[in-house]
Amino acid sequence: MDEASVTLKQQNEQLQREIESLRLRLQEAQNANLAKESFLSNMSHDIRTPMNAIVGMTALAKKHIDEKSRVSDALDKIEIASSHLLSLINDVLDMSRINSGRMTVVEELFSLGDLLHETLTIVRPQAEQRQHSFHFDAENIFAESLYGDALRLRQIYVNIINNAVKYTPERGEITLSVREEEADGRCVLVFLCRDNGIGMSEDFLQRIFDPFERVSSSTLSGVEGTGLGMSIVKKLIDAMAGTIAIESAPGRGTTVTIRIPLRYESVHLNTAPLESRRLLIIEADEALQTLYRRFLDEAGLSYTIVSSSSAAVSAITEADFRGEGYSCAILGRDVGRSNSIFELASYLHKAKSELTLVLVSDLDWGEIEYRANRSGISAFIPIPFFRKSLINGLAHALESSDTGTVSSAVPDLTGKRILLAEDNDINREIACEILSATKVSVDCAANGQEAVDLFLGSAVGTYDLILMDIQMPVMDGYAAVARIRGEAREDAQTIPIFAMTANAFAEDIARARAGGMNGHIAKPIDINLLMQTLRQAL
Amino acid sequence: MLSYQQQYLENVRKIAALSDFYGISAPDYESWYEKQLLSRRQIATLREENIALLSGYLFPALDELHTASEADINALEEFAGALMDWSTNLDCGIYLLIHDSLLSLYRFRRDRNRVIKELYMVGMGLYYQSRSLQGIECEALTALRFRNEMVFTEGGSYLKFFSELDDEETKGYIIRSLANIAICSSDLGRRVAISKRVLQIVQDDYYRSRAPSLPWDTFLQRTHMQMSSNRAVLSKGGLSAEELAAVLESCEVVFKPESGTETPNVRWLWPYYEMEYSCGFVDLATTLSRMERLIEDAPYDSYDVSGLYANVQLPIYYGRLVRDNPSLQTKHEHIRFLDRAYRKMMRTLLSCPAESFTDFFFYNICLVVTDYFEIDGVESYRDITTKLMKRLTGHLYIRSRRAGELMRLCSTAIYRSDPAFFDDIGFLRSVPNGAEKEKAVADYAEQCGLYHDFGLIKMNFERLCQTRDLFEGEQRMYELHTISGHDDLAARRSTAIFADAALGHHRWYDGSDGYPADYVRNSSPYRQMTDLVAVVAFINDCDALSPREAVASVIAQEHSRFSPLITAFLSDEALLAGIEEIFRQHDEPYYRELYCGLTGSDSETTN
Repeated sequence: MDEASVTLKQQNEQLQREIESLRLRLQEAQNANLAKESFLSNMSHDIRTPMNAIVGMTALAKKHIDEKSRVSDALDKIEIASSHLLSLINDVLDMSRINSGRMTVVEELFSLGDLLHETLTIVRPQAEQRQHSFHFDAENIFAESLYGDALRLRQIYVNIINNAVKYTPERGEITLSVREEEADGRCVLVFLCRDNGIGMSEDFLQRIFDPFERVSSSTLSGVEGTGLGMSIVKKLIDAMAGTIAIESAPGRGTTVTIRIPLRYESVHLNTAPLESRRLLIIEADEALQTLYRRFLDEAGLSYTIVSSSSAAVSAITEADFRGEGYSCAILGRDVGRSNSIFELASYLHKAKSELTLVLVSDLDWGEIEYRANRSGISAFIPIPFFRKSLINGLAHALESSDTGTVSSAVPDLTGKRILLAEDNDINREIACEILSATKVSVDCAANGQEAVDLFLGSAVGTYDLILMDIQMPVMDGYAAVARIRGEAREDAQTIPIFAMTANAFAEDIARARAGGMNGHIAKPIDINLLMQTLRQAL
Repeated sequence: MLSYQQQYLENVRKIAALSDFYGISAPDYESWYEKQLLSRRQIATLREENIALLSGYLFPALDELHTASEADINALEEFAGALMDWSTNLDCGIYLLIHDSLLSLYRFRRDRNRVIKELYMVGMGLYYQSRSLQGIECEALTALRFRNEMVFTEGGSYLKFFSELDDEETKGYIIRSLANIAICSSDLGRRVAISKRVLQIVQDDYYRSRAPSLPWDTFLQRTHMQMSSNRAVLSKGGLSAEELAAVLESCEVVFKPESGTETPNVRWLWPYYEMEYSCGFVDLATTLSRMERLIEDAPYDSYDVSGLYANVQLPIYYGRLVRDNPSLQTKHEHIRFLDRAYRKMMRTLLSCPAESFTDFFFYNICLVVTDYFEIDGVESYRDITTKLMKRLTGHLYIRSRRAGELMRLCSTAIYRSDPAFFDDIGFLRSVPNGAEKEKAVADYAEQCGLYHDFGLIKMNFERLCQTRDLFEGEQRMYELHTISGHDDLAARRSTAIFADAALGHHRWYDGSDGYPADYVRNSSPYRQMTDLVAVVAFINDCDALSPREAVASVIAQEHSRFSPLITAFLSDEALLAGIEEIFRQHDEPYYRELYCGLTGSDSETTN
């Protein structure tokens, strides 16, 4: 009886366990189903919202198809909605990859300066739009070359900063700081983002990493986002063996601290090209001046710092007079006047031929590169900069100027061939002398007809560029270009042709362009303008 | 000077004389009109001749500057100097082109003394060129001023080597460049600091003894004058006690020689009075009464610097005080005086003979167009600017009147076909459809035509455009007339509704080209009217094509440059015939309006 009773009891307990297990599995299945329903519900809402804009605006554009600008306005809105939709899809895909274990973090060498510059470039426009003041500090940066997944790190930082920007009422304050700590032979990169925004409740903080969780607020409207960002951030940080800590309270702002351990490479400073060179730094921002002094003094380099454009022009003129010219002018973030960086660069480029111009800026290089190059700027160092990025960046700029491998005062055009049409002997001689510095081969023609004959008599691809005087005997420049462009040979349409003329009428310049010339160089020839043209064309 | 240079100079002067509608006398309207048409043809011929002279002689000379003889270079310098003698700006563009070329040449030759001189010359050219953009706050002006400041800064930087240079003339250019940094800086504090430094330098025996032949006392007096023009800084604050004292002292220095004379130069008297007000030594009432006395004492037909200062600038400053002190706006006596002062100002400007059209005169015009304070009780901005347009830019007036007539014709045709076409414009939408609305649309359209090139009045480009083709840089400056016109029109009640037509008429319909890029068609409620102005302006200015060909060209550019909603109406035969008829009149009705002003039958123009 006792034995049977024990067995029965055991069986009963076994059954109870199985019932409990089944109940738990049912609960899990129900939870999973609920999560799926919730996910679908959230997704359908989040997808429908931008889709409404896309469908509605498309219909509106079709209705006003004759009014191009109204159509263009609709397309702008469709573009915004599409981009939001795309980011939602990307987030969902990221989540899916992470959940299925298909996402891996890579370990590649990257520059901390570049990573931070790119991050700041992405987030700054939105912060400026909301008129936030934006502070960035870096301290104890001993490792600039790190091993890690720069793309995913940028994704994490951008996500965190974007939340600060979005959840802080206009004209708020956002402070970012980066520091490095050494632990077990690794560099722990500590990123901190502090805002004085609306903050979060304790309850919300518990759920912040759950998908589709967003802060609801009566003070902020129109906050957009997929609600997946923080989940992704958390999973990425986990994958990098890092940690994230969030301190927040309603109405008292939020501070996010992220710590990621990374391998690093020791800094090698390339000071050789900078030795015995004089550098001029134009920077009005005192904090940046301090950084320059620290890094350049540590490297034992010779430099002068001025805080305005006019002080720079004076310093360069004075140094030239004494025959102690500067090799390089560093155009800083704040040169004392807004919008004058490019004007200053143009002025220096035109007036002082030997100077290598380097722009140190927090602007997006991709957006300003064309204008910067046209102004004579030949290198770019992104802000924030650290010891290595500054010293090596400057060394690279000067080295390149010396060897002519990148845009600088005199480009290296070895292997290139130019056809120069100029009737005046002295002008021809001067042009050849200027061009000889570039190591380019030059064939000369004394009039348009000779130029045409030389071009047509050469094999296709012989010449890389033509410099064409306009007023010449026998055949003028316009006629010569018309003949060349009218030929059927392959390079007749593509070879860059520049007018060299003192004809300053806007109509003449327009005529030169309409006649098939690519640009115009004013006479008497300005060395720097000629070099700049060659650099851009070849 | 070489003969082509003399010829060009003579042509420029002839064009100036021929373009003065009021300088041509005739016994009756018919013969006056004939003379005007003849002048128009002569101007066109002289213009072509000028372009040929520049293309055939000047440009080749600059082309071959490296091989030019010293005599040729001297001739170029003399030519440049004659085109811009600091009081009469005949052709600042050529002046600048020559000196910019010489600067490049001397930089290439590493001729330091000549570089210093050319830096000064180029700086002056840039300064005078930037004056035509006065009152237009834009990137182009900022860039021009910046380059100007850098040029003078580079020239002034040689001060450090003053004793090492051997040429006294070159030393003079260094001092002058240094002093002139102040005139191109928009930062008052910086201007004061520079002038203060220059005051110290020009009084320093170290420098004086190293260049004894330089006119140091003249430098000193001019620098005090420059410093006194910075007195606005007194009401803004932020200066150190020393800088403040320097401004006060300079006001006193320029005031003293004038205060004891019977006919003081008001230009140097006023800074002292203004300084006294800014420092609280005298109250507003005293300042206003001093101003009133100076304005009333000046004969209206005094066109020298002092006369223009009293008759034009002081009324404008009086208006500023009324604008900045709302309590004055409720006091009838001040408004009445302002009205009297403004009327006298207009009398001076409208009666000024063409030979007194100096650079200073045009600066005053610019000041009036930019700063006129429109308030109940004074003439409207619309009225005074129409008068200025008639007197100073007659050809612009004729062309704009023709544009107005074309606008009236086209807008009426559009209205009759689609009465709701212009209903995005609030004040037109509120008028019930019918004859009254048709008239409202036509009247508004006509005024948009008249005011679309308004920005050109103060830019003083008309004479330059009559003289020759524009250079590339000038063309970019010319394009700013859209922004300038918009800003001035938009700031006044009587003209605000024409502002968008001025801004947007050169911008392409699809936004892909034209200027200014700032004009966003979709955000303007006046866009349909501005679209029409763009079409009419194109047809109106298309001298090389017949009206029908111009219309065909417009239609060929529909959807891109021109609105298809407007071009849809242009195939109407009656409308085309109307457009041709307007051109067939050879502007006779508008010349008649000018003639009425000349003979006094239009009292508004000659009071």
